[in-house]
Amino acid sequence: MASLLFYALSAIAVLCALGVVISRNPMQSVLNLLGSFVAVAAIYLLAGFQFLAAAQILVYAGAIMVLFIFVVMLLNLTDREESQSVWMGLFNGRILGSLAVFAGLTVSGLIAANGNFAPVDTISHDGNLDNMTLLAEVLFSKYMLPFEAASLLLLATLVGVMLLAKRERNGERHGAQLSSQDGGSEA
Amino acid sequence: MIASIMIQEAAQATTELQAQFNDVFSGGAAAALMPFTALAVGALLMLLVDIIKGGAKLRPVVVIASLLTSAFCAWNQIGEPASAVLGGTYLVSSATAAFSLIFAIGALFAWVYGIGYYEGKLQEFRGEHDMLMLSATAGMILMVGAGDLLVFFIGLEILSLPLYSLAAFRRARHDSIEAGLKYFLLGAFAAAFFLFGAALIYTATGTVNLAELASLYQGEVAQSPIALIGGALLMAGIFFKVSVFPFHLWVPDVYQGSPTPITTLMATGTKAAAFGFLIPASFLLPPAATGIIAAIALLTMAAGNLGALVQTNVKRMLAYSGIAHAGTVMLVMAVILASGGDSDVRDESMNATLFYMAAYLFTSTGAFGLLAMLEREGEHMLTLNGLRGLARRRPAVAGAMTLFMLSLGGIPATGGFMGKLYVFMLLVKQDMIAVAILGALLSVIALGYYLRIIVTMWMEPLGEGEEAKLAPVTLPASIVTGLCVAGVLVMGLMPGWLLGLLG
Repeated sequence: MASLLFYALSAIAVLCALGVVISRNPMQSVLNLLGSFVAVAAIYLLAGFQFLAAAQILVYAGAIMVLFIFVVMLLNLTDREESQSVWMGLFNGRILGSLAVFAGLTVSGLIAANGNFAPVDTISHDGNLDNMTLLAEVLFSKYMLPFEAASLLLLATLVGVMLLAKRERNGERHGAQLSSQDGGSEA
Repeated sequence: MIASIMIQEAAQATTELQAQFNDVFSGGAAAALMPFTALAVGALLMLLVDIIKGGAKLRPVVVIASLLTSAFCAWNQIGEPASAVLGGTYLVSSATAAFSLIFAIGALFAWVYGIGYYEGKLQEFRGEHDMLMLSATAGMILMVGAGDLLVFFIGLEILSLPLYSLAAFRRARHDSIEAGLKYFLLGAFAAAFFLFGAALIYTATGTVNLAELASLYQGEVAQSPIALIGGALLMAGIFFKVSVFPFHLWVPDVYQGSPTPITTLMATGTKAAAFGFLIPASFLLPPAATGIIAAIALLTMAAGNLGALVQTNVKRMLAYSGIAHAGTVMLVMAVILASGGDSDVRDESMNATLFYMAAYLFTSTGAFGLLAMLEREGEHMLTLNGLRGLARRRPAVAGAMTLFMLSLGGIPATGGFMGKLYVFMLLVKQDMIAVAILGALLSVIALGYYLRIIVTMWMEPLGEGEEAKLAPVTLPASIVTGLCVAGVLVMGLMPGWLLGLLG
């Protein structure tokens, strides 16, 4: 039953991910992405990682999705016309190619291995600890360094993004100038 | 009653946690991480200094102090026995310390060449610029010290994300934005490859710890298709950063579009950091891949050298030359695989890589740095035409540039020659004579374009109306150029001294 559920959820996640790439309407892409996120969260739940599932829903389906939708609405991409058919565009865009390579590699790898997976390195505990405590314990002991380094990563990314997006002091923006110059060729 | 039992249990759990915590932090973890911590603290201070009134004057102090502290701590670690700290997630050895030293020095040099490079409004963002440079360098240190695929990946991203935005730093320019966007998109793609590979390796083995993986790969896990595909995908992700053959196409555009001081950091640091991880992690590829890796290395050298031959823009030419050099270092990887992962060969190869990257650091930093200096006289100075007759106007600059070109081309008495010699010697020792001969031949092609630059500078007449413009050479830049020249010569004339340091 559990494995059936797992395969069903995986299929949903993969199909939704495919839908993100194939949909012509950006809004549909975003909704497909949402479906993929939720399916992955359900897989986490199935595997017993309640916290990860909650974080997946809160962070990805919640915060990041809202940003995506904002951007799509602000850019007003919905009425963009494409002369090519969707499938031609896909073939030209190499997206399908890379997807095919990835899928092929995964499938062949999984089949060839005949289900010979290594037992996952479960963290030993006496059953009294709940999920969150377990996570916290590992984060602050064994994986202290990556956990702390990730904070520097986030900070540096924040500064990097700000550097590119910040207005200059006289209120003029390079980005704005550029987009007005580029507007013709882009459209 | 129940409450007291709960309290007792809680107290016991706390003591256990405390013990675990102490266990993780034993063995000098703080000291081992100092080169990284110094840079991370420097990056934070940079943000703080920026918001203090009049703090802008303190920026150079923060940059220089944190980079020098990092370099000093790394220097002290050289020669100490190898150890793993923080539960095996971070490794310290002479090699990682030497790499950290290379990164700190490289970043310092790149930063000095950046003084006075940015004009006008870009000066406003100098604080952020320096902060990102420090973070990127911290990421490099984390990459070579990683004892864990997870730590390596976070290091890789701490390096990459700041570089993406630094590449697009001159955002009023189309080529700079193009560089940033290209680097970002392809870099994200490569990161996905790496993660996918790491996930497959975890599926096959149940661990991401490098030491555990190394012992598992001795057994039959290495034969499992999942592990093989995982290893290949992971390597593909890193090969992108190193810019070897099928993954090198982004390099010329990104290097050309980025501000030259940033190109300097990318060319030397990123490559060295990725190689610093590739060599110890080479066990992820099976010995049967020797032929493929050797072919990739040779094709990289061919692609780099042939691409460089037709360039008229010197910055772009140096980008292609960087690809060719990455190919040469990849030969070391083939040597390790051919030896079947023999630990002596791996140590020797690590030393060869270190020597090569150190020589490349001085040479390439010097060359790109001089270009950054000349660029201030006008964009045309980046082309071969602009360099015509440079020796007549600026004999010292032309002289230093000549030395760097000779070193890049691998002429004896320079560091570049000793580095190449070391690599080819390793190849011959492993009976890969055909590969060594092909590699040497491909290196000879490279002399074609290095010599062209030298001839253009010394033997061609001055372009018209170019006598008037002479941007002043700043004192820090001259000192750094002098250090680069000294580095190239010392490594070329007394290579034994440096190798002796590594043991």
